[in-house]
Amino acid sequence: MERSSPTGGMAASPALSPALPSASPPAFAPALAPALAPIPRPAGRLLRWNNWQAALLVFVVGMPPAIALLPPAFSFWVAAALAVLLAATLVVNAWGRHTGGLLVAPALALLFVMNIYPLLWSFGLSFFNYRANRMKQPTFVGLQNYANVITDPVVWDRLHTTAIMVVLTVSVQMVIGFLLALLFSKQFPLRRYLMILVLTPMMLSFVAVGAFFRYYYEPSLGLLSQFVRLFTGEPYVLMQSVWGARAGIILADAWMWSPFVMLLVLAGLVSVPKYLYEAAAIDRAPAWRRMWSITLPYIRGLLLLALLFRTIEAFKLFDVVFLLTEGGPGTATETIAVYVYRVAFQYVKTSESTALTYILLFTVIVLTNLYLYLANRRIKEA
Amino acid sequence: MFKLALPRSAIAGAGGAAIPLLERLGLRAASGVGEAGWGRTALAGVVSFLYFFPVLWIILTAFKSYDDVLAVPAKFFFTPTLDNFRQVFSRAYSVQGQVQDTGFALFFFNSIVIATVSVAVALVLGTFAAFGFSRYPLKGNDTYLFIILSTRMLPAIVVIIPIFLMFRITGLAGTYLGIIALYTTFNLPFTIWMMKSFFDELSPDVEDAARIDGSSDARVFFKICLPQVVAGLAATAVFGLILTWNEFLFALLLSGVETRTVPVAMAQTIGGDIGVRWGLLAAIETLFLVPVIIVTFALQNQLLRGVTFGTIKR
Amino acid sequence: MSTIELRKVSKRFGSFVAVRGIDLAVRAGEVVCLLGPSGCGKTTTLRMIAGLERPTGGDVLVAGRRVNELKPEQRDIAMVFQFYALYPALSVRENIMFPLHHEKLDAATACARVAKVAALLHLDGILDRQPGRISEGEKQRVAVARAVVRDPSCFLFDEPLSRLDVELRQSMRSQIKSVLTGLSKATVIVTHDQLEALTMADRIAIMRDGVIEQIDSPHEVFARPANVFVASFIGTPQMNLLPARFDGLSDGKAAFDVQGQAIRLKVDPAVQRLARGKVTIGVRPRALVPASEASADTFTSRAELIEPMGAETLVHARTGGGDDIRVVVPREARVQVGETLHLRTDLHQTHVFDADGKAVR
Repeated sequence: MERSSPTGGMAASPALSPALPSASPPAFAPALAPALAPIPRPAGRLLRWNNWQAALLVFVVGMPPAIALLPPAFSFWVAAALAVLLAATLVVNAWGRHTGGLLVAPALALLFVMNIYPLLWSFGLSFFNYRANRMKQPTFVGLQNYANVITDPVVWDRLHTTAIMVVLTVSVQMVIGFLLALLFSKQFPLRRYLMILVLTPMMLSFVAVGAFFRYYYEPSLGLLSQFVRLFTGEPYVLMQSVWGARAGIILADAWMWSPFVMLLVLAGLVSVPKYLYEAAAIDRAPAWRRMWSITLPYIRGLLLLALLFRTIEAFKLFDVVFLLTEGGPGTATETIAVYVYRVAFQYVKTSESTALTYILLFTVIVLTNLYLYLANRRIKEA
Repeated sequence: MFKLALPRSAIAGAGGAAIPLLERLGLRAASGVGEAGWGRTALAGVVSFLYFFPVLWIILTAFKSYDDVLAVPAKFFFTPTLDNFRQVFSRAYSVQGQVQDTGFALFFFNSIVIATVSVAVALVLGTFAAFGFSRYPLKGNDTYLFIILSTRMLPAIVVIIPIFLMFRITGLAGTYLGIIALYTTFNLPFTIWMMKSFFDELSPDVEDAARIDGSSDARVFFKICLPQVVAGLAATAVFGLILTWNEFLFALLLSGVETRTVPVAMAQTIGGDIGVRWGLLAAIETLFLVPVIIVTFALQNQLLRGVTFGTIKR
Repeated sequence: MSTIELRKVSKRFGSFVAVRGIDLAVRAGEVVCLLGPSGCGKTTTLRMIAGLERPTGGDVLVAGRRVNELKPEQRDIAMVFQFYALYPALSVRENIMFPLHHEKLDAATACARVAKVAALLHLDGILDRQPGRISEGEKQRVAVARAVVRDPSCFLFDEPLSRLDVELRQSMRSQIKSVLTGLSKATVIVTHDQLEALTMADRIAIMRDGVIEQIDSPHEVFARPANVFVASFIGTPQMNLLPARFDGLSDGKAAFDVQGQAIRLKVDPAVQRLARGKVTIGVRPRALVPASEASADTFTSRAELIEPMGAETLVHARTGGGDDIRVVVPREARVQVGETLHLRTDLHQTHVFDADGKAVR
């Protein structure tokens, strides 16, 4: 193992020759070996342990053939070996060069191996027609999975359902969160303790919330039904109708996450310097103008961030739906996440589901990018 | 109303002057522009209580006997019993004469162990990484951070399929190691972002002074930076614990029969054919809840940072 | 008629009394400065006039009306805050126009007023910028412009110059002074900088611990301080305050024992009525003149530290009794460390304070 010298180390060590097995890439070396056979001096860098670019190249080049030619189990291991090699070169690269790199590398490596690599592998899989419960070799189908997914009316229907529910739940959250924030915007006795009561739903597990709202919505002994029965005398079944089920889920979700919006808006409200309101009082500005000219600019940024954050999270709407309705009645509340779960685990159309997930992933990445951009800009402006 | 009026008139001094209505109601304070009085407290109290009611009901249900739970109309006043809690842990409950162990003791154990280990490992790795990102920015720092955050923001469903396959192939499915490794990976991005935001707040002057005095980098980190962010470490650890504890989807698919966590077990209890033991569920949830409430109170100041994964501070 | 009046106004926060029953009357067109160290209650007093704090006792009158219960918006006052309180989301022009919304003027009149005020304070170039993008001095002028664009009963300034650097302060002082003179409204300025107070005020109210120690014109406050606190607060370098014992009169002069050194000084005739005992003698550094030789009315001292101040030199000396005494001499009189100085003062610049600290006059 050599440390890279600060000057870049152009001199190739005579110990590194193309015949050295430890320096050659595995599995597909025969294909690449001829290209590497004559090594002029500058290219000696290629084979050093810390040359992550070369490892990356090998990784990218080696994966598709591996998946195509080998049974899935083996291809996985081969690709995994390549991934580990890449991670290792990254760590070694960091060792000699940057303290920062060294500190960061283990975490990045773990993330890469456990998170990013599976994503990449499944990305590769999405171009084949792999089904996890069949033993046959997957064949390459190119973009067909994607085409299927994009043209599938079921997918669009689920997306439509998801969109409706996301829009509704995020709207409700924003409104309630904003109102709650207004309520808590001033100091009053016991404020700290009362705020805990409102913040707790956010910290509960989805399962608990799902389980309990199911209890509340129960036609025979749920609280909601009993309450309605006071007026109508009949048990109320919320979960049977399409919109009833949706409302039930939206209510549970909004209840859980409105405090999140409240926190953000409150942060904005609290950050307005008191003397601005005093100056506005002396300037004889009415309450609405104070809100418009002073308060709103401060919370505008945070409101947007809250909106984005909740939207990104809402796309993941799975737990609550699964527990409350399992997508029912029928498919009225089946969000896209639940649908993907079904396709992947119930129908076991693995590759198709990965194609779908990649489209979702792309959307979420765009939204996350936007979110981070806005969050950073807010910090810079402060 | 008399009680509310009393403090106001005391402040107003030369008595008998007209006191604005809002102040009399305690909705706005006599002094200062940003304060309110007990009227606001009453209003906020009502709203908070209504908002908290579903949680309160769960806690109440946990103390109800089997019949009380199913009572219609709902009983607000009842004699509390600890039966449900006993059943959670070891004792039998009898279903049509059969005595069974609910087994939740095991599930609690699983949840605790898995959450603790994964959070601890993530904390160590993540804090080092956060320090690196904060103090030794690399080229492309923002890109790395963005990628890290994205992995956390991705819909679980996107990640679960390949990971599920991976677990199956490598035989990690249903093992402690597998799920702990997975949760560690989940906690990493959050830990990194949170700790980085804490490190960013430290003033570099103290570190520079230490370096000039001859401390090595390691010493600076351990003796100077780390003690200052202990509060951040605690907050991050607690948030991580809560998030891991509550996690459902991955546990559902990846834990085995013996390594099930509490959320999964709860969900399965609901879907059971015996009929849902709401009292039992309520007891389990209350055991979850109480530490969470305490922690929410303790971490009030860090809550905003925690729920936005460290991207937003005040 | 624009006036401000405070009658026995007091304010307490819980058990802490910030302002104790002060009386103050500001005439139309008069500028009064509330001057004092931090924590003396001057800002609290100002805020009570503004309506941002409610007095716990006493009456506040603005333009003849009792306004204790009135909110700030109902009091018809204008205020310039220490941190300027410019609305960050509005442009400079919109900031200045903000108070005019209440008056429901038509656009043309409003714009004309804004333009006039902007010209007055030299803000023409930055009218369309946001407060985040202008300098401290410009922010200050915008804050003043916003206050001036209305026609209120009175003006309140809270430490207007404290955030500016020294050069800017000088120019702003004169600018503000000229603006205020032109408007002739009752004005109250809070400051902790005595130079500001001395230059801008018609009268200065010196406050300590919630009480007004003395309220007088700048000259009076400087030349005839009412007590030891005022004497030491006003004037730089600080007045020399020498503890002494009054031994009665002899030959028409008062005899003092200053830490062992006997000295006879010509002082204010009222000193005759003073009983023998502890007093404090106050002499400003610039009032002391080195004499060529010792005599009955000079302080004998030894120079310990020399501070050149440009055209003058500040000499820190020590009397025989061990007191610090400071004297300002012209640059040409080169004083050496260790040199013995015999310092003489004159009748009008020697102040005697009794055992309670009050001036004997």
